[in-house]
Amino acid sequence: MAVRPETPAEEIRRLRRCINDLVSVLALPATRTGGLPSQIVGNSLDALLSMLNLDFIYARLRESTGAVFTEMVRVSSSWESKPRAEEIGEKLRPWLENGSEKLPVVVRNLFGNRAITLVPLHLGLHADIGVIVAGSERADFPQQTEGLVLNIAANQAAIGLQESGLLSTQRRVASELDQRVAQRTAELAATNEVLRKEIAERESVEERLRQEETELKRSEAHKAAILDSSLDCIVAMDHEGCITEFNPAAERTLGYEREDVVGKHLADVIVPASLREKHRVGFARHLATGESRVLGRRIEMTALCADGREIPVEIAITRIRQDGPPSFTGYLRDITERKRNEEALLETHAELARSEERWRSMFENSAIGVALTDLNGHFIAANPVFQKMVGYTEEELKQFSFIDITVEEDRNLNWALIQELLEGKRRQFQIEKQYRRKNGSAVWVRNSVSVVSGMERGPRFLMALSEDVTERRLAEEALNETRSELAYMARVTTLSTLTASIAHEVNQPLSGIVTNASTCLRMLDASPPNVEGARETARRTIRDGNRASEVVARLRALFSKKNAAFEVFDLNEAAKEVVALSVSDLQRNRVVLQSDLAVDLPSVLGDRIQIQQVILNLLRNGSDAMSIVDDRPRELLIKTDCDDGGGVRLSVKDSGVGIDSEIEGKLFEAFYTTKGDGMGIGLSVSRSIVERHQGRLWATRNEGPGATFLFSIPCSTNT
Amino acid sequence: MKGGQDRKTIRHPLVVVVDDDESVRESLPDLLKEFGFAVVAFSSADEFLASDSVDRTMCLVLDIAMPGMGGLDLQKMLKSRGYKIPIIFITGQKDESLRMRVLEQGAVDILFKPFSDIALQDALSKAMAGS
Repeated sequence: MAVRPETPAEEIRRLRRCINDLVSVLALPATRTGGLPSQIVGNSLDALLSMLNLDFIYARLRESTGAVFTEMVRVSSSWESKPRAEEIGEKLRPWLENGSEKLPVVVRNLFGNRAITLVPLHLGLHADIGVIVAGSERADFPQQTEGLVLNIAANQAAIGLQESGLLSTQRRVASELDQRVAQRTAELAATNEVLRKEIAERESVEERLRQEETELKRSEAHKAAILDSSLDCIVAMDHEGCITEFNPAAERTLGYEREDVVGKHLADVIVPASLREKHRVGFARHLATGESRVLGRRIEMTALCADGREIPVEIAITRIRQDGPPSFTGYLRDITERKRNEEALLETHAELARSEERWRSMFENSAIGVALTDLNGHFIAANPVFQKMVGYTEEELKQFSFIDITVEEDRNLNWALIQELLEGKRRQFQIEKQYRRKNGSAVWVRNSVSVVSGMERGPRFLMALSEDVTERRLAEEALNETRSELAYMARVTTLSTLTASIAHEVNQPLSGIVTNASTCLRMLDASPPNVEGARETARRTIRDGNRASEVVARLRALFSKKNAAFEVFDLNEAAKEVVALSVSDLQRNRVVLQSDLAVDLPSVLGDRIQIQQVILNLLRNGSDAMSIVDDRPRELLIKTDCDDGGGVRLSVKDSGVGIDSEIEGKLFEAFYTTKGDGMGIGLSVSRSIVERHQGRLWATRNEGPGATFLFSIPCSTNT
Repeated sequence: MKGGQDRKTIRHPLVVVVDDDESVRESLPDLLKEFGFAVVAFSSADEFLASDSVDRTMCLVLDIAMPGMGGLDLQKMLKSRGYKIPIIFITGQKDESLRMRVLEQGAVDILFKPFSDIALQDALSKAMAGS
């Protein structure tokens, strides 16, 4: 490029612009404010690039440590590529390190094929701070004014950097000082904190100590209160066995004064003489070996009272754990009362056991069966005799109620009686009934049953005392059978004797009649007929007929004229005898007989035996009338009272088949009977007997089922 | 053999009746005579024993129950004296056990009063056949 000479106006403009630039460079704020080195240099680079219209400007700064560089670059906006500071630094390095004084220098091909004039500017003497390199393609670069601006700017930057360096050192020192102060302050604060904590802790400890002291005082007071108010005797002793404490309960119980016993040997005070040696030996052994037979347990022993009595006590001794020699506390209680109760209880138990034993023995060895059931009849216990009687073991029985093993026909009556027992209508009852044994056979028993109270408010039981009466029943039945057979025989014999005598008496004339009639016929059949003989025999036939009728009349007369043994007697008593005779017969026929005999019944005059036969007859009739009754109770009521006509009346009421109106009129006819096996003579004979006593025998229908037969006879005063 | 035209001839076998009952003593001999027998009647055993008829008796019709010596006692006595007179007992008491007893002791039959003429005739036939 051709350099044309400058006009004066141009020169003035150039110089003025240079002055402006210089003023701008000097006025760069960064150089005065002392910022960071990179900021100071950066500001200068920016200002120079734009002021001098440079292509690029590069700076390399030595760090304070000296070994490391900071590189910066500013590139003209006309450049297409923006190389980094390190790239430019790399290309400039050989040139900068060899003769950087030979400047400015034109370097070609540094960036592309451009020829760039480089102007190096040293920062500080011998570039010890760094170096700035300005580059431009302009041919007139650097003009004189531009060189001036560059140098001034470099100086300015160097001063800024030095100030910055100084400032930063100052700052560092100040900072270090601050840090040291802060550190020291922190150390002081920490020390303070530790001190504060120590103080707080000490205060806390002191507070605790105070509390503990209060607590201790309270505890002491508490202990003293416990000692004083305890119902148990509390006696403390030291390791030598001397009493150190003796509380009011101990004073009360044992009779010693506290002042008198404190300091004395325990063994000399409350240990009875007989036990003292043992106490000493045990205490010595404990002190020597630490073992003990009494510590920490409740034991019973004897204590000696001030008045010389020895009382049973329960004592528990504990060893007080503390520093120094051991001490001991004994808790002691008078158990005289308890002992007495225990002994009484033991005695009661023994008594109960003896009673139980006696009862058990009685139960086991009783000759009669004993069974206990609950109120529902379930077996609870049964003794061996009972078990043997019914053939079940006790265990088997427990699965049954007594009803289960009672034969069917006895159950209702049995249960009804139990109900009366439970309702309190009876205190006990007797019953004869049959049990069905395990093997199916029946056993007759006579049971006495009662309610047994258990313990107080405990459950109640039923107790049955059971006697095997099978043999007696069998004998009775045999006897009854014999008796009734005899009675039947007697009836038959009486009747057959009667009929035999009637037959004999009547057969004689009958025989004559038949023979005569036969003879008569033969005489008439003869040829010639023996009419005279026939007439004679016919006559005799008539005569014999009359004779037969006379015989019957004579028999009746004989019967009615039989001499009776008349006497005055009590109809009630007579009736009771008959009832007594009939009871087993009636029971066998399952007839329930009730009596309603009038008190103060006038006595009667008559044949007691015959009247009793009538009563017996009526009872039998009643019983027989109910033999086919199964749908209602077979009840018979025998009753006596005075009748309206001044006589005495006896009635027998049954619940049997009653009286058919058709047969009512024939009831008292001889040989009339409704019974399959009857003779039909009873009521007829009975009526004859009653009539011979000037009495009357009749029958009425009941309002309910059955009939009532009554007779009345005059009482003895009216006869 | 009919009627009694010849009733007094001794060839008629003799039947003796002993009974305390008068009606029997009256009626029975007539019937026996109708049968063709000779008949003598006595009211007691003693009366019969005291008579002369004992040896001639071909058959004895004897009541059992009589005052004094009864029929069974008379039977024993006759037996003990060696008589073998066939005996027909008659009695007013009907007792079958009695029949066995008297038959065992050798009686021909026993008739219970009142008995029929046929029964008597049968018994007499047996008695005559056996004697």
